[in-house]
Amino acid sequence: MATFDISSQTTPHRRLHRFAVFLIDSWEARIGGAILLVFAIMTVFGSVLAPYSPIEIAVGLPNEGMSTAHWLGTDVLGRDTFSRILCGARSVVIVPLVATMLAFVLGGIFGIASGYLGGRFDAVGSRLLEILLALPPLLVVLVVIASFGTSSTVIIISVMLVYSPRVARVLRGAALGVATKEYIQAAQARGERRLPILLRELLPNISSVVLVEFAVRLTYAIIFVATLNFLGLGVQPPSPNWGAMLFESRVTIITNPIATIAPTMAISTLAVAIGLLADAASRRFGLDDTSEIVR
Amino acid sequence: MTPALTVHNLTVGYLDRVNTAEVNVVVRDVSFDLHSGRLLGLAGESGSGKSTAALAAIGYKAPGSVLISGRSQLGDVDLLTTSVPELRNIWGGQVAYVAQDASQSLSPLMRVERLLAEPLRLHLGLRGPTLRKRTLALLEGVGITDPESALRRFPYQFSGGQQQRIALAVAMACEPRVLILDEPTTGLDVTTQAQIAKLIDRLVKDSGTAAILISHDLALLGTICDEMAIMYAGEIVEQAPALANKVAPRHPYTAALLDAVPRVDERGLVVGIPGLPATTAVNDCCAFAPRCRFTTDTCRAHHPELSDYGQGHTVRCLRSAELGALSSQRHPPVASVLGSNANTLLEIQGLVCSYRDSHSPPVVDHVDIRIGGSEIVALVGESGSGKSTALRAIAGLHRPDAGEIIYDGVPLAAQVTKRPRTQHRDIQIIFQDPHASLNPRHTVASIIDRPMSILFPERSASDRRERVYFLLDQVRLDAKIADRYPHQLSGGQKQRVAIARAFAAEPRLLLCDEIVSALDVSVQASILELVAELTSQTGTAVLFVTHDLAVVRAIAERVYVMRSGVILEEGSTDSVFEHPEHQYTIDLLAAVPRLVAVSRD
Repeated sequence: MATFDISSQTTPHRRLHRFAVFLIDSWEARIGGAILLVFAIMTVFGSVLAPYSPIEIAVGLPNEGMSTAHWLGTDVLGRDTFSRILCGARSVVIVPLVATMLAFVLGGIFGIASGYLGGRFDAVGSRLLEILLALPPLLVVLVVIASFGTSSTVIIISVMLVYSPRVARVLRGAALGVATKEYIQAAQARGERRLPILLRELLPNISSVVLVEFAVRLTYAIIFVATLNFLGLGVQPPSPNWGAMLFESRVTIITNPIATIAPTMAISTLAVAIGLLADAASRRFGLDDTSEIVR
Repeated sequence: MTPALTVHNLTVGYLDRVNTAEVNVVVRDVSFDLHSGRLLGLAGESGSGKSTAALAAIGYKAPGSVLISGRSQLGDVDLLTTSVPELRNIWGGQVAYVAQDASQSLSPLMRVERLLAEPLRLHLGLRGPTLRKRTLALLEGVGITDPESALRRFPYQFSGGQQQRIALAVAMACEPRVLILDEPTTGLDVTTQAQIAKLIDRLVKDSGTAAILISHDLALLGTICDEMAIMYAGEIVEQAPALANKVAPRHPYTAALLDAVPRVDERGLVVGIPGLPATTAVNDCCAFAPRCRFTTDTCRAHHPELSDYGQGHTVRCLRSAELGALSSQRHPPVASVLGSNANTLLEIQGLVCSYRDSHSPPVVDHVDIRIGGSEIVALVGESGSGKSTALRAIAGLHRPDAGEIIYDGVPLAAQVTKRPRTQHRDIQIIFQDPHASLNPRHTVASIIDRPMSILFPERSASDRRERVYFLLDQVRLDAKIADRYPHQLSGGQKQRVAIARAFAAEPRLLLCDEIVSALDVSVQASILELVAELTSQTGTAVLFVTHDLAVVRAIAERVYVMRSGVILEEGSTDSVFEHPEHQYTIDLLAAVPRLVAVSRD
C-alpha cells in the first residue's frame, strides 16, 4: 500500500517533478526558461565573467565596433560594452525583482484580505486603491526620488508603492472569485480561523493568478526601472546599468549602433523571456481543474 | 407508415484528448426510427452517449467528434452526408432542437419577438402582419399568458419554466418534422417540470412532429413517451414500448436503474449500482458486465447483439432469454425503525433569515424545526423556498435575523466562529456540488484529515492517518484514492470523500444540502444507501435538505414541507406522503411522475 504524507498536500519531490514536467512541456517555457537561466548566471557571476572592468575608461578606443577583443565594442569613453552588460545585469534584475516581491507582499495581503472579508473593509479599501491607481506612476516615483534622493533602496520602495495597488486589485478579484466557493464555506463550518483558511484553502487556488501577475508585473518593473535609469534617476554613473548605457550611447546610435543595440536587446530579451514563462504558466494553470496535470 | 427520421447504425467517436490519433467511441451502432406524432424517450446516465447520439443524428458534428459510420434519413436526405450550409436550411426548419437550459440557449440580447421571428423569416419567409400573427399564436400555443407584452420582453425577464416554454415555441415555429429535446425539464422545479412535460406531450401530438426526449428521469419518460430506449456505454441496451418497459425490464441495467430511482409512492431505500458508468463503447464484451449481478464468463468474452422479443421490444443481453423478465431488488420497506425521536437534539424556534441587500420579505420566516436524537429529517421545497438558507443558519454560515437554534439544550451562537470546538465537531455540513466543496489543491487524504487535525488536536498524525483509511473504507473508496486530487475523481467518488470528511469529525448532527441532486441516478442511490447506513451505525441525526420528494421518501423518517420561507406541513414521511393535508403538498406530490402508478393502469 502506498504511504503518504498526510501533513503536506504535495511532497517536495512531486512538486519538483511537476515543475520539471511543466518546464519541458511547452516551447514557450523551454525558451523562456533557457533565456532566464542565462540572465540568472549573468546576475550572479557577471562581474567574474566580465573580461574587463566595467568602469575602467579607455580599455579600448572610444566608439569601437565589434571586434575579437571587444565583442560588443566600446562606448564613448572606451569602456568595454560586453563587460558593462554583464555587470549591469545585477541592478536591472535585482532591483525590480525585490520591488515586485515587496509589492506582492504588501498589495497581496491587502487585496486578498479585501476580497475574502468583503463588506466595509473591502468598500473602503477599494476606494483607497482607486485613489492610488489614479496617480501616474512616473510622477509618484519622481516625487519620492526628489524628496529622498536616489539609491537602490529608494527606487525599490517607490516602485513597490506604485505597483502594490495594482497587485492588490488583481488579487482582490481573484480572491473574490474563490471566497464564495463551497470548500471555503466547509472550512468556515468546521470552525477554522481566518488565517489558515486564507493560507490553506484560498491561496493555493489563486496561485496561478499570483504567478502570472507576478511575471507580468516583473516585466513592467524591469522596463520601468530601466526607464528610470535612462532618465538618470536610478543608479548613478559610472556603475554599469542598461538603462543608463542606453542614455549615454544614444548620441552614437548611427556611428556605433552596437553600443545602443546591446543594452536594448538585453532589456527586451529579459522582458520577453519572463513573458514567455508567464504565458506558459497561465496556459498550464488554466487547464488545472479540468485535466490531468498531476502525472 | 414511413418514419419521419430513420437512424441506422450510427457510430460516433471523440478524438482522444491526450493522444489525438486515437478515437474513443462514445456512440456505437445506434439505430432507431422516429414516427410523426410519437415521442421516443432516450434514457441513460451521463456519459452514456444519449445527447451525442441525438445530436449526431441530425447531422451536428460537435467539436472533436468523428462520425465513424451511419445513416440518418430525413425523407430523401441523409443528414449525415449533407454539408453544413445545406443543413442550415434544414435545422430550425424541418429539424429543431431544444437544449436543457433555456436561460443559456435563448440569446439574452434578443427580445422574444426577434427570437421567434428569426426562424419564421428564414425558413418560411414570413413578413409583416402574418409574421406577427404567427409569433403571437406560437406563444399562445405554449401557454404564455399575455403574449402581446411577452413579445417585447427579454428572456431573462421570464422564469425558468416560461423560458423553456419560449424555447419550445421557437423550436416549433416552423412546424418541424423532427424535434430533439435534450433534457428540457432538468433543473426545473417539480411542478414546472410536470407542466412542461404535459406541454411537450401536447405539442408533439398536435403538430405530428416526430420527437426524441432525452432525459435521465425514467419516471418522466415513462409518463409521456410512446417508446423508450435505454442507453449504456454508447449503445441502446433495451428498447421497448414505454409501458412494457416499466412493467418488465429484460436488461439487467434497466432493472438496476429502476431499482435505483427513488419513488414517492413507495417506501424503502433505493439500491445503487456498484461501480461507475462506462464512458466509452466496448466491442469485445458486454459493457455492463463489470456492474451486473448476472455476469458470467460468457458476458466478459462476448459482445451481445440486440435480440427481439416481439412488439418492438429489443434487448442487448446475452442472458436475456434465460433470465426472462427481471423483478425488483429493492429493499423491502423497513419496519418503521424510527430513530429515537424522544430526546430532542436540535430545536429551531421562530427562525427568521433575510439577505441584507434586499428589501424583499425574509427568505426564512418564523420556521420551527425539531430533530430527534438519531432521526433523519427532510426539509423539502422548491428552489427559492429558503430551505438551504435555514440549513446554513444552523451551520452558522448565515446570521439569522431572529429566532433561536437550540442544540442539545444550549442555544447556538449565530456565527460559527463564536461556537465552541465541541459544537464544530458535532454539527457537520455536506454540500450539493462535490466539485465545489472539495478544495482542488488538496489531496483526498489531506481533505479528510483536516477536520480531525483541527477538531481533535490531541490525536497523533499516525492515528489520524489510520482513521483516514478507515473512513475511506467506510465510504467504499479504495485506499489508493488517498493520494489523488479531487479532479481525478468522479462526481460520486467526490461526494463520498465529502461524506468521509463530514464523518471524520464524528458528528451528532449531519446537515445535507441537496447532496445527491448533482449525481447520476445509480450513483445517487448508492450515496443515499451510504448515508443511511453510516448514520444508523453511528446514531447521527440528519437534516436532509432537498427538492426531490422521491429522495425524501427513500431516506427520511420525518419531513417538513417548505414554501416561500414558511413550513406548510410537517409529519412522518409516510403520513405526509400518503395523506397530505396542505394543498401545496398535494400539488407537489401530484406533479411528480411515477414509475409504478402508470404501469398499474
